[in-house]
Amino acid sequence: MTDAHVVGSGIIDFGEKYEWSFDDLLEGAYLDLVESVDHGIEPTKDIDAIWYGTLDIANEGASGASVAHATGLFEKPATQIVNACATGSDAFRNAVQAVKAGDVEVALVIGAEKMLDSTEGLIGGAALERLWRGRGVTMPAFFGMRATRHMEQYDTTREQIAEVSVKNHENGTKYPHAHQQFECTVDDVTESATVSYPLNLYDCCPVTDGACAVLVTNDERAREFTDAPVRVAGYGFSTDSFMRGDDLALTNFPASRQASSMAYERSGYGPDDVDVAEVHDCFSITELITYEDLGFCEQGEAGAFIDDGVPHLDGDKPVNPSGGLLSKGHPIGATGVAQIAEIFEQLRGEAGDVQVPDAEVGLQHNIGIGRNATGAVSCVNILER
Amino acid sequence: MSGPRYHRTRAQDQRLLAFECQSCGYVSFPDERRTCKRCGDAPATFEEVRLAERGEVETFVVQEYLPDDIEVPQPLAIVDLPQADGEGESARVYGLLTETELDELSVGTEVEARFRELFDDGERPINSFKFAVPREVKR
Ligand SMILES: [Zn+2]
Repeated sequence: MTDAHVVGSGIIDFGEKYEWSFDDLLEGAYLDLVESVDHGIEPTKDIDAIWYGTLDIANEGASGASVAHATGLFEKPATQIVNACATGSDAFRNAVQAVKAGDVEVALVIGAEKMLDSTEGLIGGAALERLWRGRGVTMPAFFGMRATRHMEQYDTTREQIAEVSVKNHENGTKYPHAHQQFECTVDDVTESATVSYPLNLYDCCPVTDGACAVLVTNDERAREFTDAPVRVAGYGFSTDSFMRGDDLALTNFPASRQASSMAYERSGYGPDDVDVAEVHDCFSITELITYEDLGFCEQGEAGAFIDDGVPHLDGDKPVNPSGGLLSKGHPIGATGVAQIAEIFEQLRGEAGDVQVPDAEVGLQHNIGIGRNATGAVSCVNILER
Repeated sequence: MSGPRYHRTRAQDQRLLAFECQSCGYVSFPDERRTCKRCGDAPATFEEVRLAERGEVETFVVQEYLPDDIEVPQPLAIVDLPQADGEGESARVYGLLTETELDELSVGTEVEARFRELFDDGERPINSFKFAVPREVKR
């Protein structure tokens, strides 16, 4: 069986893209990819199949036909992946599996989301639904539950949670494609408006339009496109729910533990081997508990982990050098693909002002919420230079 | 939002009816299924059990930002409700809280279900419960 390799990436600047249609987003990321493949690409000839991630929140991108319309890549298999906030990373995982199986030689993975065209807004209209009991559980509430319990159970402080946002905003000012390019302090976070106690406005990622694409191929074709391919060392995907009664699911995400265990096992690497990580930080607390779920620190030690500066850009294990979702933005279908693109650049030494020195192994992680805010999905991919 | 979906769980909403997996002891609420979320038994054998009206807050939030038609602050908790007969495991239950004062709330606070009309689906009232801190427990 062949390995799968990432051999190119393309992205548009994330932000409020009022002038851009949904197709413009897809086309922009696709063209950036086509124009940046080291040795060039003849897309209609080279690309065998497309995996396309979008929740289609703007309601204009449903089915594989949409990505063909935006890119001109017709007459090929094109599969839309929809898997909550793990949509983009799961599109990538599916492409990797097809390449490894030998069924596809060159796969385009592309994700896009137009978040800002929705008139009712995310809180009102999102997958949140009205719970069966009648009133909605919002995303900030779902994640805020973990914050309340983590603070109680492990004496994690509000300031430690806020520091995640401070760190990621600082990184985002150095990452050219980030939506929110400003720095903030712990006080800014803890004194910003309450969205859902205990989480405040600056604990939440912004609402952002964006798109990103990566190119995946096999051992035989990889050097046709670049002298510096990045190997996909492992991947995992899992689902879980706090409704199953495990107390761990009140503070953390068992799905993330399961997905990362699969990826670690498949790759032969463990958490200590990871040099750089792009993880899901839809809210500050999400990244904090993910340190534990990925095994970067012991259970209950995430507060000390960030106090010690370990996940900072100059720390021992930089997390979210791109600014994460908190700064870069979270256009859902594009989010996971953009994390893969950032790890690709990191491992090739092309990450500019946020470059982690000598990064050899990188990890990408998403956690997503579905089923009326009761279930969780997680995807983890591990790449190596 | 209207439609029949809120009416399918009337016994759960109004009488705290729950379902205990006979393989692993998991107590399902409000879902009435023939498969078990915890052990995966399929088909699983469930027995009907009643939940007690009092339980403990496992965690909570107070939502301050919601669509215009929902009043804020809107506190929400995950509460473990034991079985009424004191046997077996508790059920893990999502529920709204009447308390909005953070002083009254913490992980471990004892709350009780109070039955009431929660909202209507456009045609009919939906009767269910909210959790409240019992008077004798209030600080
Ligand atoms: Zn069972």
